[in-house]
Amino acid sequence: MTLYLALVAAAAFVISVLLLRAGDEESEDRAVSGTHSGNRFGPVNGLQPAELASRIFSQKDREFILLMRSSRLQRLYLEERRKVALHWVRRISREVSQIMRNHRLRSRQSSNLNVTVEMKLFFLYLELRFLCGMLLLLIQLFGPHALLNLAARTGELYQQIGRALSEVGAVNRTASPGNIAAS
Amino acid sequence: MSNSIQRVSVQSAYEDLQRRTLSGIPCDFARLIYLASTRDYNSGLYHHEGLAARYGVDEARQALQSTHREIFCRLVSLPLEGLVSELETYVRMSHEAPVGFIHAWEELEPYRVAVPMEVDSTMVQLFLSNIRLALEILRFRQEKDLACQPAASLQPSLGR
Repeated sequence: MTLYLALVAAAAFVISVLLLRAGDEESEDRAVSGTHSGNRFGPVNGLQPAELASRIFSQKDREFILLMRSSRLQRLYLEERRKVALHWVRRISREVSQIMRNHRLRSRQSSNLNVTVEMKLFFLYLELRFLCGMLLLLIQLFGPHALLNLAARTGELYQQIGRALSEVGAVNRTASPGNIAAS
Repeated sequence: MSNSIQRVSVQSAYEDLQRRTLSGIPCDFARLIYLASTRDYNSGLYHHEGLAARYGVDEARQALQSTHREIFCRLVSLPLEGLVSELETYVRMSHEAPVGFIHAWEELEPYRVAVPMEVDSTMVQLFLSNIRLALEILRFRQEKDLACQPAASLQPSLGR
């Protein structure tokens, strides 16, 4: 039992360290990204997060590289995909944290908080942060292969948070003093 | 009202661009490079003489910009194998010696300017990374072909 608890604590510690490190490396990513902006929760300027994840963590690409039977290509492929996968996870993690921070600030001023929606949002956020930590750890240890399901779930959660936030936004708009006065 | 007229013009410019110009270009990668070449490096604004004359400067600009993004997204969505074939077609189209082409592209990375502005940063990373890989794959195939050639020439000619 003690061993089990120690293992859980160690895993939590490693994930926290990775998330903190992710924060530091985000600025690097931003510098690399240059003028290209990231979009939030939608495919306005690109693919949906889950679609993008399926491209980055694709097994098909790996099989294609393996067919070449070149260790140099395999090494390069692993290195390149690892970089892109880490960039994706860090970006998701950074954007969700920022959005939740903004949401928290707005919620403090809101008079009609929906506790159920807020709780749902909080648990989705926790799950997403946990998955991001896991992904960072696993990608660095083993590379992005065989993590497609985990990455797809992360992309899905990211979109779910977006939907939940727009629900909250809609509720707040409906109940805002201006709307009440107008009705 | 004027907004809806502009939308119709942008749509017409978009269709015109697809029909007259882009359909004559054999692959998406070449279309991407072409569209990037219609963008001014300093301002980031697109310009196409013919489209602007027919539909207006702004409409032509928007049509070029959205087509550029669309083709970029299509290329990012491609599996690596598909991107390698796109690049291979583009190399053939360029009429350059493949060895020299690959070397120049690896050194100068001109594909960086083919990326549209204001697109998802991870998509940009994936695209650039895939191009690097595709170039390496083409180089690998080249080396393999070259290695096979001398061996083939050493084959005994049975008819003599």
